[in-house]
Amino acid sequence: MKLSNILKTTVAAGALLGAQAAYAEVTFGALYPFSGQLALLGEESARGLELAVDEVNAAGGVQGEQVVLERGDAVDNNQAIGEARRLISREGVKAIFGTYSSSRSIAASQVAELSRIPYFELGAVADEVTGRGLEYLFRVNPTAEDMADTIINMIVEKVAPMNGVEPGDLKIGIIHEDSSYGSSVSGHQERFAEEAGLNVVAKLAYPASTVDMSSLVLDLKQREVDVVLQTSYQNDSVLFLQQANEARFEPLAIIGGGGGYSMQPTADAVGHDIIDGVLNTDFTQYVVNKEFTPGIDDFLAAYQEKYGSAPLSGHSLTNYVGAMAILTALNEASDFEPATIIETVGAIDIPEGTTAAGYGIKFGENNQNERARMMGLQWQDGKLVTVYPDDAAAAEMRTRN
Amino acid sequence: MDVFLQVVVNGLLLGGLFAITSVGLTLIFGIVKVVNFAHGEFLMIGMYATYLITAQFGMHPYVALGAVVPILFVLGMLTQKLLIEPLMGARNHDIQIFATVGLSTALINLALLIFGANIYNTPDYSLRTSIEIGPVRMLVGQVVLFAVATALVIGLHLFLQRTQAGRGIRAVAQNRAAAQLMGINVSRVCMVTFGLGAACVGVAACLIAPLYPTSPGIGTYFVLISFVVVVLGGLGSIGGAFLGAMIIGLIDSLSGFYIGSDLREVAVFSVFLLILILRPQGLFGGRLNLSHES
Repeated sequence: MKLSNILKTTVAAGALLGAQAAYAEVTFGALYPFSGQLALLGEESARGLELAVDEVNAAGGVQGEQVVLERGDAVDNNQAIGEARRLISREGVKAIFGTYSSSRSIAASQVAELSRIPYFELGAVADEVTGRGLEYLFRVNPTAEDMADTIINMIVEKVAPMNGVEPGDLKIGIIHEDSSYGSSVSGHQERFAEEAGLNVVAKLAYPASTVDMSSLVLDLKQREVDVVLQTSYQNDSVLFLQQANEARFEPLAIIGGGGGYSMQPTADAVGHDIIDGVLNTDFTQYVVNKEFTPGIDDFLAAYQEKYGSAPLSGHSLTNYVGAMAILTALNEASDFEPATIIETVGAIDIPEGTTAAGYGIKFGENNQNERARMMGLQWQDGKLVTVYPDDAAAAEMRTRN
Repeated sequence: MDVFLQVVVNGLLLGGLFAITSVGLTLIFGIVKVVNFAHGEFLMIGMYATYLITAQFGMHPYVALGAVVPILFVLGMLTQKLLIEPLMGARNHDIQIFATVGLSTALINLALLIFGANIYNTPDYSLRTSIEIGPVRMLVGQVVLFAVATALVIGLHLFLQRTQAGRGIRAVAQNRAAAQLMGINVSRVCMVTFGLGAACVGVAACLIAPLYPTSPGIGTYFVLISFVVVVLGGLGSIGGAFLGAMIIGLIDSLSGFYIGSDLREVAVFSVFLLILILRPQGLFGGRLNLSHES
């Protein structure tokens, strides 16, 4: 090869490299449990983030750069830490999105905080996620406290009037599985109930791995409990609803706190006739007043197109809404320096009723989204339907039986 | 009084549930002298098998017994032959424990891979219908389960006491070396016993599947209490396991109602510790025999 040819080739290669640099890319981490026990909803959560990234990239990216997601598999707490380190030091991500599981989030966000990399929590609900004074952690989704708040408000504003009773005359029974999820939600329930002047007659914990709840059901029946609040996983939700039915324990209302109560297989296991009328609280779901959640239909269509099925749960929507808000805000920023990112995100101000999840976004104390809220839902004819608050409701709340 | 009766009946029915999941374990634990931590996962496999058979072929879960029990029997024999026996020669017997823990974790994750974390519901064929006897209410499926548990315990007891094969199994349990010297094929007895233990779990799985949703973690719900029942009853004692299960069931139910659901486990394990301090060999256990160590 002649020297001039070599020179030409080099120049051409240089031009190619330069052309590639024009399509600049910015990398963010997607840290979720993609394998192991939590993989099902971890994957579902990550899909929301992916759809947001697709939408943003199709509209020209963020600050003119295409967004690339680098996945990290937070299969347990230790691996969450390891993967966060890898994303930050090897992949050079500008921020991390995650995590679905609260314990993984708490572990991984410590790493990000030390490296001064922004960490955006889109789906973990435990109080401790934002309660630790971290500077680089923001949480968009509603929390365990919001869940208890919605439940108590729902009793006072809807359940009591619907049954023609004063809220203070209702006997409330709180039951919960005894890990941090059940304990924290039920703790908030008890506090909010007292503040609202409700009469809590029992607060009973049980291990989630229980195989029999008949004595607990009898206990509630003996105390003539009118409203049962249960915070539970799937097996214990099924067990309680079945054994309550079999013991002819018929309270005016049963209200779940997400978890097992939000899953279709729970309804199928218990029986659609038995679960009919049971209330629940969770992230925004899909049977909702669509005027309150603009963009939800586009989200559903995009989900269907990309994954070939309807969403499994509201987790994808919640993650999508959080990621969209942050990516849209970052588009207006000048660069991807950590200080710029947290300043930009900290200034987000989105009013209620304008996102696909319904709630607005504004970060308050501890960088928690103070406009985030949970929705009140009810099992009606085998489907989970939004019934509270009124502006989000897709159907009227029904009395049980 | 009515409530007390209901609580007691609930306790006995729960005892039946514990008994049927424990008899297999006491055979394996007491005779093959292996602490089988994969016991709960055998139950899980049996429940998935029951689910698949009932859902695919529209069969009654009790009819599925005909398939699930042989499957579990073979699975048990294979576990003994391929996993436990090669480790019998290991210097330290704890290695077998780690092997069964490994098997347990592998099986749970295999189930996660195949079926996912969601629950599966075996059709209940009205086994969840409740019947009322006087003031007491119970489920058809629970009553059947209790009856089968009792029959299984009596049957196994007779088998071990009255048949030649049963005598061989007891001989191996009492003194492995002497049994071998008397011409008993210890390796085969252990394999059959492990198979029998697993087959009992198969029976349990078919009866439990219509009452509880199946999930990869379902075995872990039952395994701890099964170990408690087996140790309480005395290793290898079938009758002891039954009595132990009834005691644990009753304490669980009574304490859950009269003391509080969060203190159930405190009550159960306090009584467990107390009985063990007073009778270290368990209720029906013979003198401690470490002959298999020789």
